Amino acid sequence: MIEFRAVNKMYGDYQVLADINESVGRGEVVVVCGPSGSGKSTLIRTVNRLEEIHSGDILFDGQNVHARMRGTQLNHLRSRIGFVFQSFNLFPHLSALDNVILSPHRVNRVGRAEARDRAMSLLERVGLAARAHAYPTQLSGGQQQRVAIARALAMEPPAMLFDEPTSALDPEMVGEVLAVIRGLANDGMTMMCVTHEMSFARDVADRVWFMDAGRILETGTPAAFFGAPQHPRAQRFLSDLRSR
Amino acid sequence: MLASALAIARDNWLLLLVGQYPNGPLGGIAATLMLSVLGIGLAFPLSVLVALARISRWRALRAPATALVYLVRGVPLLMIIFWVYFLFPLLLGTEVPGFTTMVCTLVLYESAFLSEVVRAGIEALPAGQMDAARALGHSYPQAMRFIILPQAIYNMAPSILSQFVSTIKDTTLGYVINVPELTFAASQINNRLLTKPFEVFLILALTYYVVCFSLTQLATWLERRVARRRAGPALVVVAAPS
Ligand SMILES: Nc1ncnc2c1ncn2[C@@H]1O[C@H](COP(=O)(O)OP(=O)(O)OP(=O)(O)O)[C@@H](O)[C@H]1O
Ligand SMILES: [Mg+2]
Repeated sequence: MIEFRAVNKMYGDYQVLADINESVGRGEVVVVCGPSGSGKSTLIRTVNRLEEIHSGDILFDGQNVHARMRGTQLNHLRSRIGFVFQSFNLFPHLSALDNVILSPHRVNRVGRAEARDRAMSLLERVGLAARAHAYPTQLSGGQQQRVAIARALAMEPPAMLFDEPTSALDPEMVGEVLAVIRGLANDGMTMMCVTHEMSFARDVADRVWFMDAGRILETGTPAAFFGAPQHPRAQRFLSDLRSR
Repeated sequence: MLASALAIARDNWLLLLVGQYPNGPLGGIAATLMLSVLGIGLAFPLSVLVALARISRWRALRAPATALVYLVRGVPLLMIIFWVYFLFPLLLGTEVPGFTTMVCTLVLYESAFLSEVVRAGIEALPAGQMDAARALGHSYPQAMRFIILPQAIYNMAPSILSQFVSTIKDTTLGYVINVPELTFAASQINNRLLTKPFEVFLILALTYYVVCFSLTQLATWLERRVARRRAGPALVVVAAPS
């Protein structure tokens, strides 16, 4: 579904992504972890081309994301990749419901009434039907992130990307967001999720990718990676994480 | 002096309010406000376009817009009035009424300033807003129209209102090309009375002050409201059933 082929990216002299060769299968859930600044956000932002790359290819559902293409083609491609940000990025001038309606209506030209019905059922799915008319500033962080997930799902994407979806949240709100993501995984959604929530990764991930300094140093099942990491950097990272 | 100022105001209130109207052109406060409303009203859509051109990634749009803004901001309004006053009739080959000349000048002048306000509003928004819009598949024009501009303009509403207040004061310069606005009306009265300049211009100053002060107060109120909306309500109501 998502395939990285010899992907490299530089910021000046600094190599943020170095020779990335990995793929995410259809229905697979991959958790990406690694120390701060290792390039996790950059990696998943290259999948929908919020970041450009310098060499290599990224295929999404068989389509080369970084090929030369018309703007409309890129917009269509992006509309098929759900993206959830660490800082939610809800549109503050729109109610929760309108946040979810806007893009299906304007990008996919779904009629207002239909978009609204679907938005309501998505808000229901993330447990926020009762708050549909609230504005983002009136919602807690956990609620905002659940609306953001509903907003991404409204485009009916075949895959979802999450960039640390719970790390801006108060601890008591992490669970409600992870529960929604877990539900998606159970429904067979293809996902890449940057997170340091180990128990979540154990439950949900098919594979874990460990990144450091722009490279994927180790991949494996959650049991193997968390149980017996091979790479010394991964061992140090996990022991730091546990001692926090 | 106050008593005689009041007497002058009482005798000339209609002239101050609407000028010679309906026997002559509309003047006085009515003309001043109309000039300002038309000036800002027409300058506003133009300023959004100029702001968009200023932040465009295409040089061909950016360069002329930037040049326009720098040029207009670097020249006194009076110069622009003269340029429009002498150039327009030449270009169009017909006479242009003073009122129209003044509206065109104000649109040109205020759109340069307003465009900087709008641009600041756009650039003050977190980058995550554009990221989210693009990630959902919106085109750049769509992202601007539905996501960026509504927020930028809402946040900038107080500054836009302040610019409106400046515009009211700027209309006084219409006097030099005989646009019959408020200052023109006052100077007509002054010419007729000859001996009461202090009283007449006291009335004039007070009138501008009252109009501009009320609008400034409105801008301040709006500013507080916008700040509150941006920060979110002080107390989050209703524990949400989740
Ligand atoms: N626009 C930029 N210009 C230069 N360097 C950048 C830029 N954006 C990111 N970087 C650098 O690239 C590296 C990778 O950043 P990235 O945000 O992908 O890391 P991350 O793994 O997501 O970290 P975190 O866990 O803190 O979110 C960092 O060292 C960062 O300083
Ligand atoms: Mg990151």
